[in-house]
Amino acid sequence: MAVIRVDARGMACPGPISALTKAYRKAKNGDILEVLATDPGFKPDVQAWVKRTGNELTELTEEKDYIKASIKVTAKKT
Amino acid sequence: MKKVVILGGGGGGAILANLLPKDEFDVTVIDKKENHVFLPGNLFIAFMGHKKERYMKPLKELLKPHIKFLHDEIISLDLNERKIKTKGKEIEYDYVAIATGAHLDYDAISGNTELLNKFGDYYSGPENAAKLHNTLMGMKEGNFVIAVADPIYMCPPAPQKGAFLSSKFFAKRGLKEKVKVILALPFPHAYSSKVISDIIEPELRKEGIEVHTFFTVDSIDTKNKKIFSVEGEEINYEVAVVIPIHEGPEYEVKPAEVKDDSNYIKIDKYTSKVEGFDDAYAIGDCTNAPTSKSGVTAHLQAETVASRLQGFDAKYSGRTNCPLLTNGTGLFIISDYDHPPVPVKLSKFKRLMEDLFVATYWDAIRYPELWEPIFKAYFEATNPEVLGKEGW
Repeated sequence: MAVIRVDARGMACPGPISALTKAYRKAKNGDILEVLATDPGFKPDVQAWVKRTGNELTELTEEKDYIKASIKVTAKKT
Repeated sequence: MKKVVILGGGGGGAILANLLPKDEFDVTVIDKKENHVFLPGNLFIAFMGHKKERYMKPLKELLKPHIKFLHDEIISLDLNERKIKTKGKEIEYDYVAIATGAHLDYDAISGNTELLNKFGDYYSGPENAAKLHNTLMGMKEGNFVIAVADPIYMCPPAPQKGAFLSSKFFAKRGLKEKVKVILALPFPHAYSSKVISDIIEPELRKEGIEVHTFFTVDSIDTKNKKIFSVEGEEINYEVAVVIPIHEGPEYEVKPAEVKDDSNYIKIDKYTSKVEGFDDAYAIGDCTNAPTSKSGVTAHLQAETVASRLQGFDAKYSGRTNCPLLTNGTGLFIISDYDHPPVPVKLSKFKRLMEDLFVATYWDAIRYPELWEPIFKAYFEATNPEVLGKEGW
């Protein structure tokens, strides 16, 4: 179990989702992926991503100048 | 005389070499391949059956006579010592330009090398593109899948181009009802940019091309003909092409910190200078610049570096110009560091310009100084600021 931080601030669409996918490839069930992004498209994209992959979105908040998403990895096939 | 060594003689390396005046620079180009390949030609070889020789020429012939060509494999580059080691030689330089392109790591995805050897593809060279053409000529039914292993790859519209061209190819062979073309992409939409996606999605539908979004290839089961995604889905195939994971140079570069975690060379995105060095540049697909891996990028970065080596403060704007040929005519996808992609729908006349570019490619590599004003006028007339959202 680990917290993996993905800083995708400044990346334009679909940069943040690409960065998330890259981290997810290596992640294990139980890990937390914490993604920071500035691209406004990230919010709907990450919601769609979680729905599709079956992982758990534990937090999605808009800070002053970035969006933060926390995802609990639960759907990796072992 | 300043001694410049250019690693790699692809589009970027060859243009840079040819742009440096011979009375000021002593230029050497090192490449392990003897032939220069026009990479977009792979699509035409694979899906239109063009002869592969049309898109290959000996690099020696494309370089001006005063340029030295060393046909050898690079083993290491030491930026502190200003030394390059090849299999057969050790070379010192005043300036170095890294232009060896992206390394395609087929082994990173289990089953991908086997897939490549069996079917060919349109990423690894003209021979494999010709092999894919033969494979498709023998295909009678089932799914033809084009999938992507990582969101960063050469020529962003290449998967979609492959889908449109293959769909046309199967229609021509009378197999439209029997062969289904499937496009599987890591993105939330049918193209990495939503604006572009909105334009091509109806065209993909019209062609009957099935699109799977959020599909990043994890592994391939060649025995049961299945592709699995990182996101947890699977697709069956009869024939498939999986665009491999791309990385920066394989050879050793010292200090190791100039490579990022995917081996890409870290550069200043405007000047192309390697981070921390004033006498080392990197251009084209081998860098970490946040722009498309495309020939236009390599070409414009080569012009920037040639100007800088001659004492001018030139900068690259991040400009791209990616043609996405659909079955009708297609569109240019234009962007730079400050502007997200703008779609420019191609009239038949603009499509002709794209075809003209293919025809003039060899000349533009050999005599970049003659073509520079023409390209410059085009890029100025079509910069994203001018285009706004209206299109040109």
